[in-house]
Amino acid sequence: MTTTVQETAERFVAVLSGELDTAAAEETGQALQPLLDSKGKEIVLDCTDLEYISSSGLRVLLGILKQAKSVGSRVVLKNVNEVIRDVLEISGFISIFEME
Amino acid sequence: MSPSRKSWLASVGIVAIAAVMVEVISIVQYERLRRMMAEDMTVRSHIVLGAMASDIQHTLELTETTMKENLWNVSQSVSHPDSVFPAMKRLIDDNPHVVGGCLAFVPYYYPSKGRLFEPYACKEKDGAIVISQIAGPGHDYTENEEFIRTLEAKAPSWSDPYYYGPDSLSFATYSCPVWDNKGRLAGVCGLDIDLSWLGDTLNVNQRFPSSFRILLTENGQLVAGPPESRTPPEVVQQAVDILNGVLPASANPSIAIKTTALKNDPNWRLAQVFYKKEIYARMQRMRRQQMMLILLGLAILAFMIGRYSRNESKLRKVSEEQARVDEELEVAKHIQKEMIPRTFPPFVYGSLEPAREVGGDLFDFYIRDGKLFFCIGDVSGKGVPSAMLMSVNHSLFRVLSQKSESPSAILKALNQELCRGNDSNMFVTFFAGCLDLYTGKLHYANAGHDRPYLLTDSVEMLLAKSNLPLGVFPDTEFGDQEIVLSSGTMLFLYTDGLTEAKNSNREAFGRSRVHEALTACLADGNMTPESLVHAVSGEAHRFAGEAPQSDDLTMLLIRFMPGELLKDQITLVNDREEVEKLGAFVKDFCLKLEIDRKTASHLRLALEEAVVNVINYAYPKGEKGSIDIYADSNRKEVRFTIVDSGSPFDPTAAISADTTLDAQNRPIGGLGILLTRKLTDSVSYCRKGDKNVLTLTKSIQ
Repeated sequence: MTTTVQETAERFVAVLSGELDTAAAEETGQALQPLLDSKGKEIVLDCTDLEYISSSGLRVLLGILKQAKSVGSRVVLKNVNEVIRDVLEISGFISIFEME
Repeated sequence: MSPSRKSWLASVGIVAIAAVMVEVISIVQYERLRRMMAEDMTVRSHIVLGAMASDIQHTLELTETTMKENLWNVSQSVSHPDSVFPAMKRLIDDNPHVVGGCLAFVPYYYPSKGRLFEPYACKEKDGAIVISQIAGPGHDYTENEEFIRTLEAKAPSWSDPYYYGPDSLSFATYSCPVWDNKGRLAGVCGLDIDLSWLGDTLNVNQRFPSSFRILLTENGQLVAGPPESRTPPEVVQQAVDILNGVLPASANPSIAIKTTALKNDPNWRLAQVFYKKEIYARMQRMRRQQMMLILLGLAILAFMIGRYSRNESKLRKVSEEQARVDEELEVAKHIQKEMIPRTFPPFVYGSLEPAREVGGDLFDFYIRDGKLFFCIGDVSGKGVPSAMLMSVNHSLFRVLSQKSESPSAILKALNQELCRGNDSNMFVTFFAGCLDLYTGKLHYANAGHDRPYLLTDSVEMLLAKSNLPLGVFPDTEFGDQEIVLSSGTMLFLYTDGLTEAKNSNREAFGRSRVHEALTACLADGNMTPESLVHAVSGEAHRFAGEAPQSDDLTMLLIRFMPGELLKDQITLVNDREEVEKLGAFVKDFCLKLEIDRKTASHLRLALEEAVVNVINYAYPKGEKGSIDIYADSNRKEVRFTIVDSGSPFDPTAAISADTTLDAQNRPIGGLGILLTRKLTDSVSYCRKGDKNVLTLTKSIQ
């Protein structure tokens, strides 16, 4: 599981690739730490290469979303594959995240 | 209006109509009888009165004859005054009715005797005849009406009756002119007769106590009537007045008068007076009795109609009740049918034919965690009570087998439940089993049920301990027995309705025939569970023929058909880092089964969430523990079994996350088990010994 975060003038772009399972959740959470201070900028989570997510992974995403909402930032999930979309649907997360 | 009230009204109506009809008929009949009786009375009176009239006439004629016979003698005697006396004596002596006789001579007939001369003879009370000359200054017969009339008419005639003498007796006189031998009219000879006897004879033989007869002269004078002791004189007088036209007939409407006249002189009339009341009294009495009888009859009729209609309405109620019971039985039958499995996987088939609408047999099966749980049972007795117990049993089996994989444990719990408040002393023979569809391992326990047949290359009985049936003693222990079935082995379970199916000679189908039928099926080699059950059932029905089915007939056939099996196993420690190994294990297993990526990914997530749950909660913090994960598949379904030795923990009992809340309020707990549930077909937990066993299954077809 690799996670990279890029900050531009308008937004943060985090690229998630690999499998975000329970074991990887903690490490990924730390890698996404910068997003917790989004300063109102838009947050884009690029899921193009994200192959798998477990409930621990969802918990990391939820933490980012809660923080962002409190400062008025948008969170957008980009290029979510079918498997991940299923998980988002089952968990009901699809209704609280913006999808692109 | 209620039906009973309606039928009551109808019965009252029928009785009322009958009463009116009977009354009308009775009135018409009565009037006719009355008329007949009146006619009869008229005829009878005329006969009686006619007889009496002839009787009187006869008496009078006798007097007239006496007169005629003596007349010559008398006319000879007038030649000398003294010879008249003996002639008079002879005259009255002849006839007992005659009480006196006289010969009143025309004035100066015997110059020596002066103007008036009337020799007279009369009978004393003792019968002696006394002769005297009675004419004198006190008795001038020339003024006598009879005397004058007879002389003028020169013909005999009767006088009107008169009363004379100290006893005021009634008399009548027959007067006849007498010529002497020179052809001169000498005088008038009179014969007095006593009429007092008339009053007595007139009123003998009266049929009715108050009716009476009277005799009247032509002028309407009363000649004779009933004695005062019989009828008061004013009543007699009233009848006389009516007859004379002095009073109208309506003066006394309660009487009827019939009259007859004498044929010739004197023109007297005889009358019979009736009291209508008396004539019709008997008839009225009869009518009253008749009416009473009819009323009694009608009362009995009303009672019978009432009883009949009540019985009928009761009968109707009973039949309505019966219809309702039938309908409810039909519903019960339907419910019971619904309870019994109706759709079967290819390796199971069962059939239940109740002897009545509802029965006490049951069978059931279901698959959980790749294991087939099944049972067959027979409640003692038949009909509704058995069916009710059967339903209870069925439900209990479903509930109890959810939490245990041990048939004996299921039986024990069932038994304890059934023994509780089993006042009707019903019991259930029961066989329960659990067949692992992957391994062929069969656990079973028996509670007094017929031992099933095991069909391999041959037909054998499954070695099953018999034990006591359920519902007998609460502390009965049922040991689990185990056998591993080889591929293709069949288990044939049945209730005694099969072995005890009777033909018309009361012979039972018996185990030997069951054995034969199964052997025949086995020889066929190409039998499915369904066709096998049908074949055995067909044999039993052929054997029973026309004989009615006496007991429920139930059969259940299970065939172990594992197909190509695939299994794997991994042991993890309770560390989250182990999740990676788990992911690889699931991926690898799915790859071997050629499961598509998406399904594989779902399975991996479901298993990861379940195992993380165990890692997080099964063992106390810091304590090392192991988690065994078994994977099995028959290429149709995949089963993962997660076993740990931690403290009892049932994740399926945890509440799943609410997926409708917004981001701020969204909790993260409960999401794991939700994903596990959603991504598999079944998740079930049971505690086996000191281990938690969680089983996930998913169809991969």
